[in-house]
Amino acid sequence: MVDIEKLREIAREIISRDDVRQLIGYRQGTYGFRARPAFVTDPGEVDKLIFSPACVNNLATYITLEERLPVPRGQEPDLRKVAVMVKGCDSRALVQQMEEKAYERERILVLGIPCTGVVDMDKVEKRFPGVLARGEIVLEGDKFLLTYDGKEEEVAKGELLADKCTRCRYPTPLVYDQLLDEEVARFADDDYADVEALEKRSAEEKWAYWEEKFSRCIRCYSCRNVCPMCYCEDCVLDRLNPQWMRRSVDVSENTAYHIARAYHLAGRCIQCGECQRVCPVDIPLMELNRKFYKDVEELYDYEPGTNAEAPPLLSTFKVDDREDFIM
Amino acid sequence: MAVKKLSKDKVKEALQELTKFRLIAPAKSDEVVIFKQIENPDEAYLEYGNSTVPPKRVVFPQTETLFRFLRGSPELKEKDVEEEGTTVIFGLRPCDARAMAIVDRLFSWDYEDPYYLKRRQLTTLVGLACVEPPSVNCFCTSLGGSPFGTEGLDILLTDMGDHYLVQALTEKGEKLQETLSAHLEDAPAGDEKKAEELAAAAEGKIARSINTEGIPEKLPTLWEHELWKKVSAACLGCGICTFLCPTCHCFDIQDEVEETGEGRRARMWDSCMFSEYTLHASGHNPRPTRRERTRNRISHKYSYYPKRFEVIACVGCGRCINLCPVNIDILEILEQVVDAS
Amino acid sequence: MAEKTDFEPNIVAFLCNWCSYAGADLAGTSRIHYPPNVRVIRVMCSGRVNPLFVMNALQQGADGVLISGCHPGDCHYMQGNYYARRRFNLMRNFLEYLGVEPERVRMSWVSASEGAKWKEVIEEVVNGVKAVGPMDMFKRRQLNW
Repeated sequence: MVDIEKLREIAREIISRDDVRQLIGYRQGTYGFRARPAFVTDPGEVDKLIFSPACVNNLATYITLEERLPVPRGQEPDLRKVAVMVKGCDSRALVQQMEEKAYERERILVLGIPCTGVVDMDKVEKRFPGVLARGEIVLEGDKFLLTYDGKEEEVAKGELLADKCTRCRYPTPLVYDQLLDEEVARFADDDYADVEALEKRSAEEKWAYWEEKFSRCIRCYSCRNVCPMCYCEDCVLDRLNPQWMRRSVDVSENTAYHIARAYHLAGRCIQCGECQRVCPVDIPLMELNRKFYKDVEELYDYEPGTNAEAPPLLSTFKVDDREDFIM
Repeated sequence: MAVKKLSKDKVKEALQELTKFRLIAPAKSDEVVIFKQIENPDEAYLEYGNSTVPPKRVVFPQTETLFRFLRGSPELKEKDVEEEGTTVIFGLRPCDARAMAIVDRLFSWDYEDPYYLKRRQLTTLVGLACVEPPSVNCFCTSLGGSPFGTEGLDILLTDMGDHYLVQALTEKGEKLQETLSAHLEDAPAGDEKKAEELAAAAEGKIARSINTEGIPEKLPTLWEHELWKKVSAACLGCGICTFLCPTCHCFDIQDEVEETGEGRRARMWDSCMFSEYTLHASGHNPRPTRRERTRNRISHKYSYYPKRFEVIACVGCGRCINLCPVNIDILEILEQVVDAS
Repeated sequence: MAEKTDFEPNIVAFLCNWCSYAGADLAGTSRIHYPPNVRVIRVMCSGRVNPLFVMNALQQGADGVLISGCHPGDCHYMQGNYYARRRFNLMRNFLEYLGVEPERVRMSWVSASEGAKWKEVIEEVVNGVKAVGPMDMFKRRQLNW
């Protein structure tokens, strides 16, 4: 478990440095068990920083999300570092961003959090409905301990754990400048059972399944915006000429959107599960991403976000890549 | 007006009766509750808290054809809303009905929007009072609404345990009550009093609040205030808060043309939180960052709208708080606005 | 499903300028008969074909899509077909996962001298698509002017 006092001390030290512009971490949310991103620019603000299994957000998104406005003539661009707290899965987003040369390693300062799993907030709020007062979640052994309204409850870890954590291969960050705790050994693995179950169905069944999900989509683009790998300044979805996906919301365009979104993450998705977490209409987006993840691993022996030196999957090839599908 | 009761075991037959109209009711799809047209009463799911997507999309569809055209032909075929026929939205929450009443002012303001207004005219709203507030983030009472609010509704249903109390509120509502008369019985004596007690109890259970007094006047004075940078830092720029807001009503108009030359002009929801919402053809963007966009969202709801229409364009349904992926909380922002100097 | 014997599919084929387009041309000049269901779009290289082209063709009413390029090692731009091969292996698997039959998304290597192979490829593609029937999953709905 991350020692909060130690975290704040390290954060204070970092944000006091001249070459650091801001630190992105977590703080208590506005209600219930929620936690949310915190943006610290002043040593006086570090005392709000926390880390707990409620800290679900992937903060790597903010490194590339921040708008880069033109610098007025006569002014120098602010090139100071951004410090960011990352869990194991989140760190892979940084690795993948750097693999794609989104920015230089020197631009960021990484505070790694060896992670034993975060909660699925939907599961928490279903189990404890109507909690308004700020509550806390800690993991003790194989149980989550939830404190709220002066009450304390224990829940088995498996009941509230986020699905992605049950398949996590990299609990300890793969890139960091400072590690906030002891390394955590791999405690889970991925067998792609969900993807395989769907693969086995007939074409009609598959489409019936996806048609129902896609028809719910309201195209709020939260899955795109939250994704640490979706950082194009000019997204293909926003372009009017050519307009690949029409803005109108119907099964055809929604399907096109989901194909395009998922395909753009082929060999890039690092399995942080943020897209599925944020979807307001519960589309199982990870089942799309995981299909690519599985294929990429099986066909090309490539795992995104694990090696910043490797060339990105689709901008390279091997002469003997499989071609049994080609006529 | 006549107060009736609809026994719970007769709800299905009442809904069956209503399927002769275009019947819209909350329905469950996986764990998500969405208002949709139902053909079969079994699809309706009335034991819900509140729907994820507000029923505004029934009267203000996310994508709506305005007219069709054919390349080379001067003729246009305008959409005839009348064809959709009488619509009944069954079981919507009072806040969502009130939101429609608020948005009506915009669509009937300087230009009378024929599509929206026609559809509103054809639609009867049957509300379902919130005996229990659907979410911890409900704050309707701060904005002049109530869990038992009747503004915008034609009929209000109150869950009394084994039956619903049916109160017609408008002429349209009475007409619909008439249609359903075979399934209704006289309300038991004392029901109305009991409903009033339930209403008072429900109001008491609304836990969050904000004093909106002075906010519309104060907001424009905080244009360059540092609070906007702070509250928008975590914003992802997605459309959840606006698309799922029952009062947000921005739209974009686009032409869609097929290779055959057939095409349509359609309007579709747009969101002020998207970066391309204000993007000019020149490449200039007057709202270049999430700071300006967040400021606009709050200011539109709490300042521009009340200035023009004398009502705040927020009903306190709490959707934007519940569903924001990064826990941006409109009440917290408003508190900061109140405290700002 | 019902009998589909009278169904004539629309196939959109993206052919590279240097090999497959020339191969199809050779089939024509050699008077080789092949099914007329194919609509050819010439691109400079199979590596030019954006996977979104496939998706968009299916949306706009194609029942099947064929991408064809030079044989490995013969690419006019040295490597374009290798990149295309990776892309389409993934795209094909993914579309199959959504319920699009693999018969609808095909890829082939046809060189400038393979007029006869072009005929075989087209016959196989057309027969494959005929077997699975019209594509109506996420086709754009008709406007009915």
